[in-house]
Amino acid sequence: MEMTRALKFETPSFTKRLRGMLGVDFYRLFHTPMFYIFLVIAAIIPAMILGTSGSDTAEGVAPLYTNTWQIIAADTPIYAVSDMGQYANMNMVFIFGGIMVSIFIGHDYKSGYVKQLFTTHAKKQDYMMSKTITCAFAMACMCITYLMGGVVAGFLAGTSFEVNVGSLIIAIVSKMIMSLGWASLYTFLNIIFRRYFGISIASSFFFGTGILIIGAGAIVGNSSILNIFLYGSSVYACLSSNIMTLLVCLVVSVAWAIIYNLLGTLILSKSDVY
Amino acid sequence: MNAIEIKGLTKNFGNKQALKGLDMTVPMGAIYGFIGENGSGKSTTEKLICGLLVPSGGSIKLFGRDYTDADVRAKVGVLIEAPGCFPNCTVWNNMMLQAANLSIPNAKEEVRKALKVVRMEGSASNKYKNCSLGMKQRIGIAMALLGHPSLLVLDEPINGLDADGMRIMREVLVDITRSYQCTVVISSHILGELEKIATHYGIVRGGKMIKEMTAAELDADCRTYVALRTRDMSRTKALLTFKYSRVEEDESGYLRVYDAKAPEDIVTYLYENGILVNEIKTAKVGLEEYYIDLMNEKEVR
Repeated sequence: MEMTRALKFETPSFTKRLRGMLGVDFYRLFHTPMFYIFLVIAAIIPAMILGTSGSDTAEGVAPLYTNTWQIIAADTPIYAVSDMGQYANMNMVFIFGGIMVSIFIGHDYKSGYVKQLFTTHAKKQDYMMSKTITCAFAMACMCITYLMGGVVAGFLAGTSFEVNVGSLIIAIVSKMIMSLGWASLYTFLNIIFRRYFGISIASSFFFGTGILIIGAGAIVGNSSILNIFLYGSSVYACLSSNIMTLLVCLVVSVAWAIIYNLLGTLILSKSDVY
Repeated sequence: MNAIEIKGLTKNFGNKQALKGLDMTVPMGAIYGFIGENGSGKSTTEKLICGLLVPSGGSIKLFGRDYTDADVRAKVGVLIEAPGCFPNCTVWNNMMLQAANLSIPNAKEEVRKALKVVRMEGSASNKYKNCSLGMKQRIGIAMALLGHPSLLVLDEPINGLDADGMRIMREVLVDITRSYQCTVVISSHILGELEKIATHYGIVRGGKMIKEMTAAELDADCRTYVALRTRDMSRTKALLTFKYSRVEEDESGYLRVYDAKAPEDIVTYLYENGILVNEIKTAKVGLEEYYIDLMNEKEVR
């Protein structure tokens, strides 16, 4: 049978592969209603926190937040939280972001897209990186809508806007940088539980709440050693942040992103994909 | 060089051994009909070739190279079960997304060409979820054709299609081998359809390859038989059974005599016994019957 054409093998470059995959993931992200729903949810959270949180005093219910920016980040890094006010800030985005990542990656498996993908030249590491970058971007966008929602909620509630602008900007940018680390964690969890959508969401929610670090904080105290973890660094990005905070967040986020990407790649390479 | 060369392939799912040292050779340019009953290991083998599963043992070589190499994978187009498309996207967008994944230059032109080959150019703006099963299968093939693959692996592409869908699919597959000049591996239960296009066959059972052959070898292997009809079929059958070792009645009401040397002998024999033959013809068993015979043979052993 002499009908085959001459074979010419070409190895697609890493950038070519990643660019193609990122193109598809970003297209999907911008074309799925889920992304916009989560952006709206992120914008609503601060208003809900501001409207519902308060503590009982002798004179009645006192608001937990007297300053608008406390909805964005805590005044100081407190790992073992004792009340809602220390807990509920922009870090909430990472909990909802986890659910969004689970839905996004879960859809890859549900639709059979991964099957279409991994039978081509796509490598497992490309997949991990593409998902991490796309989901980190989505979570960073959620941080922005959260910020916008917080400002609007502050105006409506009439809380103070007094703040050290430099520290505030560093805190916000640091939290956005932390999106990368969180996105890699959620991508990794969703790779492990890829056949069990419910467990993927539950595990993302569990780790997103930072419950392990909060528990560790209760045991080891308010130690800066907890900054080596994603939740620790996210808490570290507060209203008293400085350039060191930014650096810590950058290093921790990138380091965990690399670790989770390597582990995820290993799992995908050693186990059945579909 | 062979397009696929598999040696001693094994795959375990927990305690269950799905493949037990399967060997398979697919020559370049072949349309390879991959046949076997449910659970025999066809889909597992195809998923392993496509890199969706990790083998427990053995080796897989595509075009003489390791099957996991990115450059080799870029030469493989796949349709396993159903295409992995986004239901709310149009056919065109799904195709373009796959083209982006493959980093294809001139993506629009490539997509247009692939859709034309599978006769779907008029349905590009349809949402994937609104397409019929036959259309979805053809979209899957079009996606597999993106990037000009040299090997196409199709898992049951004709199952579940109506007669017209099957005809279109058959034409599409023949077109593909002509215009894309690639090797095609097709698994299917519909052997009658497969027989019309396949140049090579591989029959798998219980996770092992029990027979590989070319279409010509199959043709030579298939036994001929004499089919006939008389007015008194029951007496004819009784008489023929007395003389010939295998006489069967088929679904269309003919009596089949498998070990008859010439139809004239049968006509004479029946005439001598007072029976006139109304119709008589010689024919060959098809792939389906050959397959059933082979399976029965193995079962007896």
